[in-house]
Amino acid sequence: MIVIKRDGSEVAFNQQKIIDAICAAMNSTKKKGDSELAQKIADKVTRKISKLEKVDIEHIQDEVQSALMNSRRKDAAEAYIGYREIRTLKRRERSSLDKKVLGLLELTNEEVLKENSNKDGATIPTQRDLLAGIMAKDFAQTYMIPKRVVGAHNSGDLHFHDQDYSPYFPIYNCMLIDLKGMLENGFKLGNAQIETPKSITTATAITAQIIAQVASHIYGGNTINEIDRILAPYVFESFKKHYRKGLEWLYMLEKDEIEDIDISWENKKLHKKYPRCFEYAKSLTEKETYDAFQSLEYEINTLVSANGQTPFSTFGFGRGLSWAERQIQIAILQNRIRGLGRDGKTAIFPKLIFGLEEGVNLKPGDPNYDIKQLALKCSTLRMYPDIISVPKVKEITGSFKFPMGCRSFLGRYEENGEELHDGRFNMGVVTANLPRIAVKANGSEAAFYRLLDELLEVCKEGLMYRIERLKGVKAKVAPILYMEGAAGSRLQPEDTIDHLLKNGRASISLGYIGIHETMMALYGTCLFDDQELRNKGLQIVQYLSQKAEQWKEETGYGFSLYSTPAESLCYRFCRLDEEKFGRVEGVTDKGYYTNSFHLDVNKKVTPFEKIQFEKDYPQYASGGFITYCEFDSMVNNPEALEAVWDYAYERVPYFGTNTPTDRCLECGFEGEFEATNTGFECPNCGNANPKTSSVIRRCCGYLSEPSQRPFNAGKQKEVLSRVKHM
Amino acid sequence: MSLMNIADYKRFDVINGRGLRHSIFTSGCTHHCKGCFNAATWNFNYGKPYTEELEEQIIGDLNMPDVQITGLSILGGEPFQNVDGLLRLASRVRNECSGKDIWVWSGYTFEEIIADDNKRKLLSCCDVLIDGKFILEQRNLKLKWRGSNNQRVIDVKESLRTKQAVLMPL
Ligand code: SF4
Ligand SMILES: [Zn+2]
Repeated sequence: MIVIKRDGSEVAFNQQKIIDAICAAMNSTKKKGDSELAQKIADKVTRKISKLEKVDIEHIQDEVQSALMNSRRKDAAEAYIGYREIRTLKRRERSSLDKKVLGLLELTNEEVLKENSNKDGATIPTQRDLLAGIMAKDFAQTYMIPKRVVGAHNSGDLHFHDQDYSPYFPIYNCMLIDLKGMLENGFKLGNAQIETPKSITTATAITAQIIAQVASHIYGGNTINEIDRILAPYVFESFKKHYRKGLEWLYMLEKDEIEDIDISWENKKLHKKYPRCFEYAKSLTEKETYDAFQSLEYEINTLVSANGQTPFSTFGFGRGLSWAERQIQIAILQNRIRGLGRDGKTAIFPKLIFGLEEGVNLKPGDPNYDIKQLALKCSTLRMYPDIISVPKVKEITGSFKFPMGCRSFLGRYEENGEELHDGRFNMGVVTANLPRIAVKANGSEAAFYRLLDELLEVCKEGLMYRIERLKGVKAKVAPILYMEGAAGSRLQPEDTIDHLLKNGRASISLGYIGIHETMMALYGTCLFDDQELRNKGLQIVQYLSQKAEQWKEETGYGFSLYSTPAESLCYRFCRLDEEKFGRVEGVTDKGYYTNSFHLDVNKKVTPFEKIQFEKDYPQYASGGFITYCEFDSMVNNPEALEAVWDYAYERVPYFGTNTPTDRCLECGFEGEFEATNTGFECPNCGNANPKTSSVIRRCCGYLSEPSQRPFNAGKQKEVLSRVKHM
Repeated sequence: MSLMNIADYKRFDVINGRGLRHSIFTSGCTHHCKGCFNAATWNFNYGKPYTEELEEQIIGDLNMPDVQITGLSILGGEPFQNVDGLLRLASRVRNECSGKDIWVWSGYTFEEIIADDNKRKLLSCCDVLIDGKFILEQRNLKLKWRGSNNQRVIDVKESLRTKQAVLMPL
């Protein structure tokens, strides 16, 4: 007799295998084995199938199962069935994993390939990263993440973000790099010991290296908080260097004479004595600063981290008042305005955020008002910088700092009696699918909050697991972060990082999505149109915030509420809910859910109404927020953008405009390209060649070039339905 | 019968003129340029009647306290074929909205406008004139505030003073 196995291969029948399987099932029960009975049952099964020439393995197992069921050992039958089910499940998992890997190999796995608009899924380093991601996620789901959380994630009740990296790897999300500490104290990079730089050129070169290294050890964005302040000392170093040259060549001073001179920007007497030298050093330093930041921008845009992507990098700047700080601000903006390469293409990274502050740069007469004008021009041409309202961020988050990555904000935290920001990080996010429970609640507010409580318990379990995974991690797993100072500490290889996680030094974030759809599902109307509903929307977010606060008190960890940027999630949750509930008007019928507290992108309101509507949310979602408005091209009209910025400054902490900044490299047109079925087209000359077009759209807090790398389907729908707030 | 019809009133316009503006589009135009961006507005009956309420709203919108509005833009159709209605609006803006400027777009040239007393009166209430027909063959989207190369952005006060078209520095 021949047995056909599952993979189709054929082997000779062997009764012993049946006996072994039955014994194994018996042994796993309390009553233990009974080899006599096993032999009997095997005989019975063999007799039943002996007339057949070929027999399927599944058929044999069915026979064993029913023979066991009819025997006195029902307990063994149950064990046998359980054992079969697990095997079947494993096989199914195995084959779906294989399918994903094959999809990657054949570039057909859209979900994996387009998950992140910052990755070019076709290149080998990215493929390696994606492959690792598929395996890491599978492993984490099977063996690591609590089962209840896995179930909730896969069904779409919540989203446990970034499973392709974490928790398989014990790494965290995004951070503020302690660049200042690293540069001032030196650090080791690979085999080289890096000393404090002696010029701005060296300082920016090292900065690029640090960013690349850091980006390879975390999965979220990294930010240089107040880069103008951090790098200013090195502009002064360059100034001294050029000054010395000037004294030597313009005034013919001897080398040892120069050594004795106290060269500094503040030494006015000296500049009076050597005026040409001052002018010379000043102008050379300004040029050097410009060039240094040009190189830095190039570096970051050409870098590929070990994660197979350009590092998600952000520069926050704008508050510095000294000459050196001003030069850095100017250099960053002028380089961005100029663009990359011969064609002056818009740089995608780093994201730029400009801090607005009265007395610094907000109003005519403020010392840096000229730089605000430059920032306005830059923003009309290149979408960045976005702006931060310095007083609003202080008011809402308790202290001033730029966001980590695109919108994650840390709370206030002190070490040795001083506010500390740089070197801190976010341990990760779990996002709750609010529209789903709103649909389930079937119009009942009480039911909604009951379901919300249940869901939040699972979210909390997921978040606690994220923290758990980082506990006990040794410094040596990420030397750049923990031993060389990027996370603000210099630990020994075997030290654990536990103290960096506690007491709100690091944040851990509950995310949420779809306030708009939640309100639609619960009350059937858009909350924008009804003051009472507006309050109810706000109440939900307030409730979430209280929960986060409560968890913080309970655990001592920095729980915060985060307004998730939902690049592919806006589409995933909606799709899963449509499968579950069908077409729910105003909820699942658009193909995407709206980000966090944002107004539906379809709603026709003025930008001022939108700001007014969204302004009340960040105080609750203080772990992450941003407000966007859509505009027509303002390339010709920075004055208009200024009116909008000034309005936003008074009301929201963090604000960005989505304005067309497309450029035609054939005819020089700047403005908005027309979207066509096949791509994008210049409205002035009809050019549709992606190679000579620069089409930039915002996707998930960062910019991307949809003409080069298409959005996923959900995102595309959202982009197509965005209404300009004008 | 109202004075004129309005094709659109667009608040917070960033495209038509410098700064953040409110724009009113009048109905009716007999120039019939080839490739006109808004041919529906050729009809004098297009859109809604211009009302007292709308006028109040425009004045209020220009003076709104929270947002820095630079001024009013008047586009068409052909504003200079709706002089009577616009004259009232423009002079109210002059009197009641201090610090706000008025930009006007016309298919007529500056020279044609000042040759006609009525049109000239409306023009004298304005600060900036973008003049001339839209000529499809000279279409150029790279221009600031204009559609074709023949059109000019004119400083009205200077031009009226010197009786010749003085271009605005852009
Ligand atoms: S003047 Fe203006 S509205 Fe009239 S036809 Fe020409 S482009 Fe169209
Ligand atoms: Zn073109």
